[in-house]
Amino acid sequence: MKNIFYRLGAAALLSSVFLFSGCEPEFEEDITVSRGPLDLSKYVAVGNSLTAGFQDNGLYLEGQVYSYPNILANQFSFVGGGPFTQPLFTNEQRNGSGYIRLTGFSSTGLPTTENVTTNLAVTGMGADGKTPLLTKFTGEVQNLGIPGIRMKDVVTPGYGFNNPLGFNPYYQRLLPNEATPAGGLLPYVNKVASVKGTFFTMWLGNNDVLGFATSGGLSPITTDTEFQSALDAMMAVLPAQGVVINIPDVTSVPFFTTKATALLMSQAQAANAKLYITTGAGAVREAKATDFVLLTSTVGTPEALPGVPQPVPHGFSPFNPLRNQEVLDETETAAVKAATQNFNTKLSAAATAKKVAYADMNAYFNTIKQGFTLNNIAYSPAFVTGNLFSLDGVHLTPRGYAIVANNLISTINSYYKANVPTIDVTQFRAVLIP
Amino acid sequence: MVICITLSKYLFYFSIFDYQICKNLKHLYLTSKRMKSKFLALLGSAVLSAGVANAGGFQANLQGQKQIGMGHVGTGLALDQSSIFFNPGALAHLRQNGIQLGVSALNAKIAYREPAGGISEAFTDNPLSTPFQVYASFGKEESPLRFGIGVYTPYGSSVNWGDQWQGRFGLNELTLQAIYIQPTVSYRISDKLGFGAGLIYSIGSVNLQRSIPLQDANYAESGIELDGGASGFGYNLGVYFQPTEKLSLGLTYRSKVEMEVKEGDVTFMLPTSPVVAGQFQATQFDAKLPLPANITLGIGFKPTEDLTIGVDVQRVQWSAYKSLRFDYNAGIRGEMFTESPRNYEDVFIYRVGAQYKVSDILTVRAGAYYDNSPVQAGYLTPETPDADSRGVSAGLTLALSEKIDLDASFLYINKKERTDDASKSGGVAGTYKSVAYIPGVGINYKF
Repeated sequence: MKNIFYRLGAAALLSSVFLFSGCEPEFEEDITVSRGPLDLSKYVAVGNSLTAGFQDNGLYLEGQVYSYPNILANQFSFVGGGPFTQPLFTNEQRNGSGYIRLTGFSSTGLPTTENVTTNLAVTGMGADGKTPLLTKFTGEVQNLGIPGIRMKDVVTPGYGFNNPLGFNPYYQRLLPNEATPAGGLLPYVNKVASVKGTFFTMWLGNNDVLGFATSGGLSPITTDTEFQSALDAMMAVLPAQGVVINIPDVTSVPFFTTKATALLMSQAQAANAKLYITTGAGAVREAKATDFVLLTSTVGTPEALPGVPQPVPHGFSPFNPLRNQEVLDETETAAVKAATQNFNTKLSAAATAKKVAYADMNAYFNTIKQGFTLNNIAYSPAFVTGNLFSLDGVHLTPRGYAIVANNLISTINSYYKANVPTIDVTQFRAVLIP
Repeated sequence: MVICITLSKYLFYFSIFDYQICKNLKHLYLTSKRMKSKFLALLGSAVLSAGVANAGGFQANLQGQKQIGMGHVGTGLALDQSSIFFNPGALAHLRQNGIQLGVSALNAKIAYREPAGGISEAFTDNPLSTPFQVYASFGKEESPLRFGIGVYTPYGSSVNWGDQWQGRFGLNELTLQAIYIQPTVSYRISDKLGFGAGLIYSIGSVNLQRSIPLQDANYAESGIELDGGASGFGYNLGVYFQPTEKLSLGLTYRSKVEMEVKEGDVTFMLPTSPVVAGQFQATQFDAKLPLPANITLGIGFKPTEDLTIGVDVQRVQWSAYKSLRFDYNAGIRGEMFTESPRNYEDVFIYRVGAQYKVSDILTVRAGAYYDNSPVQAGYLTPETPDADSRGVSAGLTLALSEKIDLDASFLYINKKERTDDASKSGGVAGTYKSVAYIPGVGINYKF
């Protein structure tokens, strides 16, 4: 009998422990994270505006904080990643280079914007008389994203030196002023090498084609030889582990797709007119659906023409065609696509040779063209409403960057058999609507 | 390589690939300081709050304190006035009239973890909900006819995930309430057989809130709230058969009650831009929510004078719940209604329980049940992140006098951990785990 009471007591005790421990719902398995064979103690991010956190046509503190390298570094910290230093603007100078902000919508539903011109980090005018200087950040930097840099610029001495022929102010702010090879004249590759990272991401090459594309074909595409030799120099100084990220199809972004040419052509037709463009060769011709009218085009704005009593919408007359820099014509588009493919082949080969991961961002951007749903939110490359692209139509929103960061984490995890956790992208903003 | 292009009338300076700064920038002289990343603030993944129904779907099996203490069996037993719910056919077999009041304190917690790859977790912060039951029976002692009325809460749910968690565009919080009012007649044909029937009038309410992925210039997220009252009708039939002193059987059918919301309120919190307001014009909604029918077979067995054992098998016809549809009086992003498939399945609940009369003063109880989830794979939602659940319970009755009893019960529910992609319900993919603690008390007055 005593034995039975002992057992009952024990059972009661056990069940009360069971009840007590069950007070909060608990998952059967703990979250597992691991870095696999990766050494993430010092991550260095190499790249252009996308790497810097550029958004809304400017580089400012919020974009820097939500840059994809900062998100990656944050996620690396779950698996033993080291500290990550970005050249952040101060809170007082939080608006950095200045940027554009959405102020509302016009009567026709088009977004209206304004420039943010307060709390800038601009300290003066450069020796070239046109490039504003930015507040210096001369300590060691691990996010080396330099807005505007092309692959071919990475080996150029003086690319960041304040001089009358022009320079890059975002690189200039990271360098000392002295005109010495190891100082103000330091080429970008040497700056990357000096960080002595253990892991890298490299997203370069976009501007080698994008410059041509966004200028409507005015700025030349980097040549094969220039690209290859600069790429080789860069690969040589990068750490042994990392990710090479390729170049997305630039014509998939809202900068090229928002003012859809086919739609403009039908609007012209409805007005009993046709849409005319100036090609890269200087000829004026009717627009084709395979031409891309740029977001910055003033197409449709009524303009006075000599000898015509009524103003004519811009582009709706052979005497007032869209200018060359307002259009990427079909020949130029073909050149952009060919160059993108060509450069991506070189990037892929470089990643294979160095035995590092290769992120096919080109393929990813193509998949999102059709739109997708994540966390009950619809995403698409649409301007303003698509949640991915910021107000400049080329760079991403913080949430767009977070989605890219998660995509890179998947690539890293799969190549290195690691288990770096992804981030909750809903915690990042898309375009703010007034 | 700086390109500045003016976009129509606005000073929209654009330079994409080079220095991106145009002439309009002002020159400022300020010192540079590193700013600590605000980033970590994002990390502590949303820590949140919630409560949920304690049975499959949004059924709340808490209709009598004695029965809760023994795994909620009762269809084959004639324990007390709660037979009005459990089996109207047994009511006329009670020796005395009485009134019973009971209440439970439902404290449910749900944990959420985002799908593999991420590590965000969330926890509900549900308000304590208080399902209650009031039963009273009347009738002359020698008469075979008994009248009764019951007011109880067989369905309900209160889930609050908050407005920060990853699934907030699916749900912030949902409160569903249904109160059944059931006048009942029971007739004892013989000492062995009784029939009963009750008419159910149900009143209730629904309140659903979710975030909308639009942020204003101050980063405030948008949201929608649906709030409305509902009502519906149904009935409850039962037969009670007691072939011997030691054996009793019960069979009941509680019909479906279709709760209908008419002209509930739709409220939006949105950015002020008129373009946005034009997209969200609804001010009222209509909806229907089926509270499913139940068929229950119960057996009672009394091996000795003091020991009673009960077994119930309950079929819940959840397949009535096909979809959750809201019809609006004006468009929301051009849609006049939203509809999410639910396609619940009919399920069985198995219950077993026993009570033992220790003395004239004290009766103790224990029981357990197993409840299959009506939610099919692919249909999980954060409003009812349901899974097969296990309940264990204990209870007691203190007889304070000939006329007054006090009941107490405690039920612990543990739902199986469940991972679902929510691909068919428009829910929130991830892994969910729920537990609930439900203490309850009741008082009986016999006359």
